[in-house]
Amino acid sequence: MPTPATPAGDSPATAAGRTVALVTGAAQGLGHATALRLAAEGYVVAVNDISDDGRLTALAERIGGMAVPADIADPAAPPAMAGVIAERLGPVRLLVANAAAMDMSPFLTARPDVWWRQIDVNLSGHFRLIQAVVPGMRAAGGGRIVIIASEWGVTGHANATAYAASKAGLIALTKGLGRELGPDGILANAIAPAYIDTPQLQVDADDAGISLDEMRQQYRDLIPAGQLATPEDIAGAVAFLASPGAGAMVGQVIQPSGGVTRTRA
Amino acid sequence: MTAAPAPAALITGAASGIGAACARLLRGNGWRTAGVDLRASQTDLAAVVDVTDQAGVTAAVDAAADRFGGLDLVVTAAGYYEEGIDVAEISHGQWDRMLAVILGGTVNTCQAALPHMLARGEGAIVAISSELALAGSATDLHYVAAKGAVLGLIKSLALEVAHTAIRVNAVAPGPTDTPLLAADSLWRKPDYLATLPLGRLVTPGEIAHTVYYLATEGSMYCGEVISPNAGAVI
Repeated sequence: MPTPATPAGDSPATAAGRTVALVTGAAQGLGHATALRLAAEGYVVAVNDISDDGRLTALAERIGGMAVPADIADPAAPPAMAGVIAERLGPVRLLVANAAAMDMSPFLTARPDVWWRQIDVNLSGHFRLIQAVVPGMRAAGGGRIVIIASEWGVTGHANATAYAASKAGLIALTKGLGRELGPDGILANAIAPAYIDTPQLQVDADDAGISLDEMRQQYRDLIPAGQLATPEDIAGAVAFLASPGAGAMVGQVIQPSGGVTRTRA
Repeated sequence: MTAAPAPAALITGAASGIGAACARLLRGNGWRTAGVDLRASQTDLAAVVDVTDQAGVTAAVDAAADRFGGLDLVVTAAGYYEEGIDVAEISHGQWDRMLAVILGGTVNTCQAALPHMLARGEGAIVAISSELALAGSATDLHYVAAKGAVLGLIKSLALEVAHTAIRVNAVAPGPTDTPLLAADSLWRKPDYLATLPLGRLVTPGEIAHTVYYLATEGSMYCGEVISPNAGAVI
């Protein structure tokens, strides 16, 4: 269906009338697919990843957006990113919190720096980024925050305690933000995907000591619907939560996982 | 080369409220629609049938599937609401009727539609539940029990057909501005609305938008409950 590109509020959008979105972790996988989808729907999209090896700039050029490479775990980065986007494009009205660090390690032998790095990026980085963009959303009369959580933040997973803790934290953050920012017309919701066909699968395959194809089949066997989600499926969920018609969605966690968890969040 | 025919939907409760909003949105996007309701609905094929009438529902569903060459989407929105009744005062008649319409109507519609979807191996069923089924509620227990039962039905049916491309899901609206809510309903009172993060009722169009998303991009949802509820249940 036709989807107007103003996610919330009535104030004029910027960058030639288009709504400004920021997608973290956009160099590949579902962040990349999300940036493409939002651009196709008329958003002007700023794309972030931890560094720019050329992919981020190429994506920004392709979609007529803007690359803002930065490590969001650096406390100075989020305000700087929000500032430069506001200056060049206008205030961020749609934040897609997708960037994630992930490592598979047994709990007792996990290296503390590797363990905490996942919390620093996934949870604390986005906490600071949300703090940096909310004032602009408030001033503009509303906004949308879409947080990419994970099934493992709902169910937990062996050898993924840090990742699961960070994603569970993001789910609780979504619920708190939904309640706290909802009255201002800033709607926070989360998506908790399970198994997506992205480069992340290779990390899981390496941890399990099997091939990528074997990993894909193992995951398919766990999914009632028998299919892995594509990055485009998750991008579609982001577009739904950002759309004007989803204005009654607040503090929710949706799970396009093929039936793995079925609304357990 | 001929263009693919427009997708087709059957909606119960299509004459008013959420069902009517679904029919309107689907028609506006080029879908062909059939309606089942106690009154005639604004659809391409309007059946006047009580959803508790299993034979009547089956006939209406079969007629729609014949007319449209199958069904891409079934929305079960038929229902009614009674509030302000203490548990002890819910009569057996009230209980039976509520279960028959909300749960029985969903069962009848799904049972009638599933063979058509199985024949093609694909389709979407979206049941309208309620946020009250998630959170519970006082003085409308029969309604809450029926809406909760719909969730159990939908999650189980979703698994039963998960190996096909038929997707079964539910939408659990918050209090929605429809004729179902009486003018003096508790859910319309400012004191109640002030407890919601969004401070307002949900619109029928917002529920229809969610149904439309599940129908058009919902292939990875299987037994999911999506809650456009203005923050009533977080």
